[in-house]
Amino acid sequence: MKKLRVLLVDDEIMIREGFKKLFDWKAHDCEVVGEAADGMEALTKIDSLLPDIVIMDINIPIMNGLKVIQMSKIKHPEMAFIIVSGYDDFAYCREALRLQITDYILKPVNYEEFGTCIDNMKIARFKSTHEETRNLGEERTIHGLTRYLQEHLKEEISLSVLAEEFHLNPQYISQLFKNEIGVNFLTYLTNIRLEHAKKLLISTSLPIAEVSEQSGYGDYRVFTKVFKKNEGITPSQYRKALWNEGN
Amino acid sequence: MLRMEIALFLVMAMVACIYFTAEKEKTSLHRTFEVMLVTVMIHLVFDGITVYTVNHLDLVPKLLNDAFHRLFIGTMILIFFLFYQYISILVVEEAGEKSSLGKLPAVFLFVAELGNLLLPVHYAVTPAGNYSDGIHVVFCYLSLGFYFVLGSGMLLSNRKKIQKRRRIAIEIAIVVELVVTCLQGYNHTWLISGMGITLITLAFYLILENPDILRAEIVEQKMSMLYLKSQVNPHFLYNTLDTIRIQAQLHGDQKGADLLMDLVDFFRLSVKVDRPLVTLDDEMELLEAYMELMCYRYPELSCEYDIDPDLGGVSVPNFILQPMVENSLLHGLKNKGYKGEIKISAKTTPDRKLLIAIRDTGSGFAPGKKAIIDDMLENYSKQKSKLTGNSIGVLNVQKRIKLLCGREFGLSYTENEGGGVTANILLPLWEDERL
Repeated sequence: MKKLRVLLVDDEIMIREGFKKLFDWKAHDCEVVGEAADGMEALTKIDSLLPDIVIMDINIPIMNGLKVIQMSKIKHPEMAFIIVSGYDDFAYCREALRLQITDYILKPVNYEEFGTCIDNMKIARFKSTHEETRNLGEERTIHGLTRYLQEHLKEEISLSVLAEEFHLNPQYISQLFKNEIGVNFLTYLTNIRLEHAKKLLISTSLPIAEVSEQSGYGDYRVFTKVFKKNEGITPSQYRKALWNEGN
Repeated sequence: MLRMEIALFLVMAMVACIYFTAEKEKTSLHRTFEVMLVTVMIHLVFDGITVYTVNHLDLVPKLLNDAFHRLFIGTMILIFFLFYQYISILVVEEAGEKSSLGKLPAVFLFVAELGNLLLPVHYAVTPAGNYSDGIHVVFCYLSLGFYFVLGSGMLLSNRKKIQKRRRIAIEIAIVVELVVTCLQGYNHTWLISGMGITLITLAFYLILENPDILRAEIVEQKMSMLYLKSQVNPHFLYNTLDTIRIQAQLHGDQKGADLLMDLVDFFRLSVKVDRPLVTLDDEMELLEAYMELMCYRYPELSCEYDIDPDLGGVSVPNFILQPMVENSLLHGLKNKGYKGEIKISAKTTPDRKLLIAIRDTGSGFAPGKKAIIDDMLENYSKQKSKLTGNSIGVLNVQKRIKLLCGREFGLSYTENEGGGVTANILLPLWEDERL
């Protein structure tokens, strides 16, 4: 898989340094190709470096981050923007969602959480390309595997179960996930389980323990913990936030 | 005479205007009072009309005259029923005793109104003025007397348990009503019953927690919260702490970085103190950040959580758990050299309330101390709020719960069998979006 090119935008040097050195870019098949400290510089570098991902602070000098995204999106619709902001503010959040950004994470940045955010982006990319290739009538091994996972996510699944089912070597499957999607098997499984859980949280009023069970987590405590780590909020906060928005 | 009714109506309208424009949480006492206020106003209108119609029997058709008269008496019976209802709610709230009469007074209301509608009305014509007499009036006044005696009896039998200021106000109102009734009985043509009713309603209004006082109390609470937000711009504080965290991590100090992260989380979450209600999960997040730091500082301290995951989205008053836990640490576990455990649990009670328990294995109450704290929590409204050091204090938590959730909720302490104490926080199960 091709390395993803990343541009860092933040007016504080320490925040950029932290990102560069404390996050394991290599493990996530990414590389930082540039930095910018204000809105103008960000615009120029976006055009000259053409990164795949832009990590963007909102409150930056000269031109604010949302404006930069708005302008860049027109020229580069494929570019992914991840907002990193200290402003725990719903107004910003809403505007950011309108710009169709990839993710929104809050400072102080938890690098583990940031890794999940990159992984989720890769999985989303994989799913959308899958849609395209399916229309062409192609069916690759990885698609068989992911479909199997989707259909069996309630059950206990591991690499060896998958290996037995498909008569493949577990190591090979593990490598396949890494090459085709860019994330490891377990990350992918967690992702689809949580997607399923989120669907249940929004569309049903099942108790959390039941949602947890149906998403393949026997222990709701584990489920709540994993959910919180990935989404930043607990399952009940998630349900409540979305229900309130719907009303 | 008509002028008096108009004046009384204006007084009631003014009360209604002040009452309905004030923002406040509504208890069942408030709701009863609202119905009473509206009924009294309607009653005064019919009172005014009947004063005219009863003295112009020749001008007004008998059917119309009767109709107004029945409406006038009918609203009066309803008001007396509400008087009784108000007193019984007050007694339940203050003395905690339910009336043994059950549904009887409500059933009797139906009987009395039926009598009022069906019994024939008769008018006595005298040179001084006209008034109604006969079986209709006798029956209706007996019904009023029934509620009057019931209400006063209930008040008198529980008089020790009711707050002095409230009790005296109602007692004066009852005496006034008694005098008015006697005068009316002595001279039938005075037609002053409206005055008594208005005065009783006014007394009830005055003893109902004065909305302006309530508002002032909420402002005071907010001010003390703002004080805690500290004079420093909180964004500056946690942005700077975050920079230090990254610096620590760049130098390979992972533990230091983690602790700073917890501290930043703690500050970031406490910046939200200007919201009166948050979700239980928000409260837990703040508490976990706090406990993480405390447990690091005191390695022999541990913390356990047992929270029903479906309760995470319930709305609770902001900033109630951390002050309570801090209190357990400072007064219970500190004396044991911060060696022990704090256990926080949240569950639903059988009568659909939220019960949060904070149980510690600390030194427990010193002899006699529990009685003092119980008394302080019981009479929370008479205590002055104070801010000792950095702690918001138990009293402040109690006051905010009572103000935001109602008087049936709040805080209480129990002693554990194996030592230490448990703080029990009883809250409403608010699952709607009050945030």
